[in-house]
Amino acid sequence: MEYFLQNFPQQLVNGLETGSLYALIALGYTLIYGILEMLNFAHGDVFMIGGFLAAGVTAVLVHGGVASIPGALIVILMMTVAMGGTGLLGVGIERVAYRPLRNANRLAPLITAIGVSLFLESAVQVWISPAPVLVPNNAIVPQTVVRLGSVETPLTGVMLFAVSVALMVALDAFVFRTRFGSAMRATAQDREAATFMGIDVDRVIMVTFFVASALAGMGGVLFGLRFATVNFFMGYLLGIKAFTAAVIGGIGNLRGAMLGGLLLGVLESLAGGFISTEFQDAFAFLALIIVLLIRPQGLFGQPLADRA
Amino acid sequence: MSATPAVIEVEPTRGQHLWQSGPAAWNQALTRPQVLIPFFTVAAAAPLVLRYLEDNSSWIGAQFWTTILANCAMYACLAISLNLVVGYAGLLNLGFIAFFGIGSYAYALVASDQLNQHYPLWAALLVVILVTLAFALLVGVPALRLRGDYLAIVTLGFGLIMRDLILDLDRPPTLAGHQFGPSTLNLTGGTNGIHQVDPFKLPTALPLIGPVPHYLMYYWLFVGFLAVLVFCMLRWRQSRTGRAWVAIREDELAARAMGVNTFKYRLLAFTISAVMAGIVGMIDGAFIFNAFPGNFDVQQTVTVFIMVILGGLGSIPGAILGAIAFTVPPFLLQQFVFIKYLIISIVLIAVMVFRPEGLLGTVSIRPRRVMGGTLDLFSADAEAEASTGRPATLGQAADLEAAAGAIVQAPEPKP
Repeated sequence: MEYFLQNFPQQLVNGLETGSLYALIALGYTLIYGILEMLNFAHGDVFMIGGFLAAGVTAVLVHGGVASIPGALIVILMMTVAMGGTGLLGVGIERVAYRPLRNANRLAPLITAIGVSLFLESAVQVWISPAPVLVPNNAIVPQTVVRLGSVETPLTGVMLFAVSVALMVALDAFVFRTRFGSAMRATAQDREAATFMGIDVDRVIMVTFFVASALAGMGGVLFGLRFATVNFFMGYLLGIKAFTAAVIGGIGNLRGAMLGGLLLGVLESLAGGFISTEFQDAFAFLALIIVLLIRPQGLFGQPLADRA
Repeated sequence: MSATPAVIEVEPTRGQHLWQSGPAAWNQALTRPQVLIPFFTVAAAAPLVLRYLEDNSSWIGAQFWTTILANCAMYACLAISLNLVVGYAGLLNLGFIAFFGIGSYAYALVASDQLNQHYPLWAALLVVILVTLAFALLVGVPALRLRGDYLAIVTLGFGLIMRDLILDLDRPPTLAGHQFGPSTLNLTGGTNGIHQVDPFKLPTALPLIGPVPHYLMYYWLFVGFLAVLVFCMLRWRQSRTGRAWVAIREDELAARAMGVNTFKYRLLAFTISAVMAGIVGMIDGAFIFNAFPGNFDVQQTVTVFIMVILGGLGSIPGAILGAIAFTVPPFLLQQFVFIKYLIISIVLIAVMVFRPEGLLGTVSIRPRRVMGGTLDLFSADAEAEASTGRPATLGQAADLEAAAGAIVQAPEPKP
């Protein structure tokens, strides 16, 4: 019990850190699912590409552990390149792999998405690097450790959390406060009716993919900065976890995805810290199955009618 | 008993050749007993021909090629098992390869020095079937109550958990500081896998054929099991159960309205497919003498998927064709091994976008022309039966009506 009380705050903070990363990626899943009713398996790999783009920027600008321009500038450049690159990648994936199958049987885009996911993974493995690539974060951001009582976490961890939350708030405002956001919500409710209202559904879907993928790309940058390494396989498990978070929060529900991500991160960190590190992933999926059985629409989702 | 009873033959209409008549007709033409029996005979005799060639020329390669063929047959078995759950019943089981692994490990545990157990074949088979069945029910019962997409994610998660379990269970599991089992407990061998698994006790020589080497015996085992699976699949397709599966795949709501117990039939498809994969895993374990975690990672699932998709969802000859197409090249081109998954993924996307029904597929998953329209619910199967088919004889019509009636009137006690 004493052990528990001593370590609980630290585990909670660790959990919030990973949780905010899950939430950032879960938002992408939930956005795309909300509009296309399609599970974009490749989303986790888009996150991975974001990480590699960020690593690419550092490879150009950082030589021998010394940055050639100020660190803050590099971080901004990393974020711009990664978000822009993954955003365009997302739009490209939608155009090539999903749009031709938009009205097909539900199975078809799911299978294509698996294909896209495997393609991105093996492309990076074959053409870039099968081994983990280092992100020299010590040359870019100060390696200060933030202390609060007994809890300590690196500055990059705080950054991960802060940037994620800021982006979530921004996305929430975009979807619920702007004109384009209401077009997105209309498309999500009823694509056909939205076209009758003069909404360019193709454009809405394109923008959705851009935004969702850019969020994942930003996740990749933050991951690279925090953990100092990226590898071609990292999007796989993280993508599945993020989807789990989206489902736990209620798929299609933005705020649900954010809370679901944080919740899953904390849950996993606590289970890993106090029960068993080896079976940490198993607990996450166990939580998913339990939530789905008890409350299939997710914790914060609206009950769904069974659609034919 | 022929392998395809009560099939409404799709006769090419006058002036139209078979090759013009579309995948559904090709599929039916290829699943006739007149085609399948010679195919399996040739397949079984092929290694003997290879050996004859080796004996009578300077060519050396009989063992190499027989091993490749054995791998083809094994992947064909897996592709057909997957076809049952994805092609027939329309369930996206992404943890499929885990059942193959569970079968392998279950056999390895009761037939090696790992636990000092050496069960006879029949007992080991029983263990494998029971263990895979138990795991299939464990995942299937909760997951199949969910809507389609959730099933995909839960099975994917299951596959990952199984992989973690197999990698971590080389030591006793520790939960919250409490250790379960003695410290020497080593179930799965971790990353090393389980080695020196017993092969089946099979004769090493046959009358007329002479000595039969290990690889040849297992090739025949795989081909024999493949033949059994093909026969079962074709029979099921025409049975009440098969019709129920197709009905669920095409339109679950309509199937439920017709009184099909969707949960029961989905669970049936899921567990049968899992057990079939488990048995294939067991034969493979005995064939290669070990159970190794790398043999069933997630990429293997995609490999088996592409075999089914390329051949065509729901098509038996297609699955065999797909298995051959994706098994032989990695053996022949060493360079291919590195870019294998790159090629597989590109083919997968291209097939889905340009020809979603695959080479011989009977399931139409092409986009519907009308948004939200329900007019295109017919699969290519039904279209072939309805349009190009010769009017059925009265007996066949009665059979059909009886089968349809059997589903419609299937008693389903409601609480």
